[in-house]
Amino acid sequence: MKDDHILLDHGAGGKASHALFSREILPLFENAELARQDDGAVLDLPGLSGQLAFSTDTYVVDPIFFPGGDIGDLAVNGTVNDIAMCGAKPLWISVGLIIEEGLSRTDLNRILASMAGAADKAGVKIVTGDTKVVPRGKADRIFINTSGVGLIRPGVDVGGHNAKPGDKILVSGTLADHGITILSTREGLKFESDVKTDSAPLNHMAQALIESDCHVHVLRDPTRGGLGTTLNEIAVQSGVEIRLRENEIPVKPAVAGICELLGFDPLYLANEGKMIAIVAEESADEALALMRENEFGKDAVIIGEVSRALAVEGETDLSDSGGRVLLETGIGGVRPVDMLTGEQLPRIC
Amino acid sequence: MSLEFAQAFRDPALARNLIDRIRKVTPGPLRLMEVCGTHTMAIFRHGIRSVLPPEITLLSGPGCPVCVTAQKDIDAFVELARNPRVTLTTFGDLMKVPGSGTSLAREKADGADVRMVYSIFDAVNMARENPDREVVFCGVGFETTIPTIAAGILMAKEQGLTNFSIHAAHKLTPPALGALMTADGVAVDGFILPGHVSVITGTRAYAPVVEAYQVPSVIAGFEPLDILEGVRMLVEQNAAGKPALENAYPRAVADEGNPKAREVMDQVFEPGNALWRGIGEIPDSGMVLRPEYQAFDAGTKFDIDLPDTPEPKGCACGEILMGLKTPDRCALYKKTCTPLDPVGPCMVSSEGACAAYYRYG
Repeated sequence: MKDDHILLDHGAGGKASHALFSREILPLFENAELARQDDGAVLDLPGLSGQLAFSTDTYVVDPIFFPGGDIGDLAVNGTVNDIAMCGAKPLWISVGLIIEEGLSRTDLNRILASMAGAADKAGVKIVTGDTKVVPRGKADRIFINTSGVGLIRPGVDVGGHNAKPGDKILVSGTLADHGITILSTREGLKFESDVKTDSAPLNHMAQALIESDCHVHVLRDPTRGGLGTTLNEIAVQSGVEIRLRENEIPVKPAVAGICELLGFDPLYLANEGKMIAIVAEESADEALALMRENEFGKDAVIIGEVSRALAVEGETDLSDSGGRVLLETGIGGVRPVDMLTGEQLPRIC
Repeated sequence: MSLEFAQAFRDPALARNLIDRIRKVTPGPLRLMEVCGTHTMAIFRHGIRSVLPPEITLLSGPGCPVCVTAQKDIDAFVELARNPRVTLTTFGDLMKVPGSGTSLAREKADGADVRMVYSIFDAVNMARENPDREVVFCGVGFETTIPTIAAGILMAKEQGLTNFSIHAAHKLTPPALGALMTADGVAVDGFILPGHVSVITGTRAYAPVVEAYQVPSVIAGFEPLDILEGVRMLVEQNAAGKPALENAYPRAVADEGNPKAREVMDQVFEPGNALWRGIGEIPDSGMVLRPEYQAFDAGTKFDIDLPDTPEPKGCACGEILMGLKTPDRCALYKKTCTPLDPVGPCMVSSEGACAAYYRYG
């Protein structure tokens, strides 16, 4: 049964999203930059050294206010992080606002103030933008698009294709906080918990790693689709097998509890302020110490390693990824971690 | 259950002891069936297959509520969703299950008013708040779910709601076990009985089946140690040649179950024949609305009477649900049937055997 329509699954960041991108979007816009499928495009600057990172993202999260943040700081941090994960220092951001008729000025001002605060914290400037208002019912209160550019120093390459056998997998803190926060605040599912979004700028932590002597091979932020999906993407891009240890993967007890209750796997839930760093084995301890020095990396840990190279190369369809990420379970078993197929939660970012 | 408490049931050293014992006692090839979809998921998630001796084959049984829902019932849900007066409310898992031509997710994309809810009470509230809409709830589930659905109907009745109804496709566990034991070709050396269902039914509900077919049976919880302990008990029973009904989940399951929940369930529903996907009709294995609650029957209200359509050619969901085949032996598995484009419900539900094999296999 093939789809005649776009379903919510196609926007969930899992296999359905990848299939849509690989089979219908990429072939029409075919170019080497887009085909890399990293968080942003890495562009050569004719006649200049270094490269430009360019990324865009649109935020439609429901609700627009949630514990620990709102759609405004999410929109700034998201694009800052996408640029930072290209190995770049993010500098300039654009903002497009699509506002539904009737949004209160108080809500708008609160969102704008939190965008300004987030930009300030990340050290980026919002330098251009656009505002549209659509009739009631044609949007859901407010949608925000942000784009951004940043500069990559010569010789820096931390794209998803660089993971090598022996590398260690580091994660900057607890997983699934954002996904569970949105779920908990959605209508009809009100949990008594103190879980809040982890929305945060990762650029300072990423730059600290890049500017150190550590051999940093890959940087990524596991947003939609979660750690499981992001590591599968990296495994396919790099042609490697990744092994994780369940007992090392940090999840807050409250988050783990809600996941157990609802049957969600924290490996597939969104994060908005967490970084995966894949670094050479000899750099792992130093990288870990650097991440822990940052306020958003205090709980950083090593969760596994790149176990071996696989004899597959040049794949562009990231939706085909069975069995490249393995998890050693708490009781000593082993099982594959696949990519998220469709939607676990609607509109989380 | 607090997580700290759950962690106690994931202790690696205790797991090692159980695994060692299972390896030592396993008398030869054994086919053990986990009846419940939540067990299927837990077994894969914790990598339990990889620690058991190769002689033990774990089969997934007919215990994923979405997977055993007949295509005819899915078609009925779709038919209801297409009615412009209807707001159809459903548990999320059902959204993507293909009926004979389409799924609720596709109908929703096409404009049907389909809402995902986490409880029937959300649906009842929706009916109260939207008196101009007909709110219909998709009644799918086992003994764990049916009492809350009954409570929802009692609430709707108490509030005098006339715009709320359900399409009941509920299923009962013990009759399905009996049907399995008498079906051609089914060979099961032991049942891992569902923990949640048993909280309601109690241990005693399975006694007639265990007695009649002399099949080793153990009620188990869902943490790794619960499941390993269940497997150990089944292996010991097989080794000793003494089939029995045992409870490895006494912290949750009592012999008499939850009489209060059953009372609510029996007040609204009565046993009736039910159609199980791939298995066929099993007498008294469903729970249908009692005559005095017929006003809440969506099928009657909206005159839904659909033929039972044949299941997709080549789809082995039925054989898989009966433990006759493992998903990888289905001709469609990973070829035309994937989670992205599922043919049968076992590939859709996160608790379905095929989806679990695909994701974790």
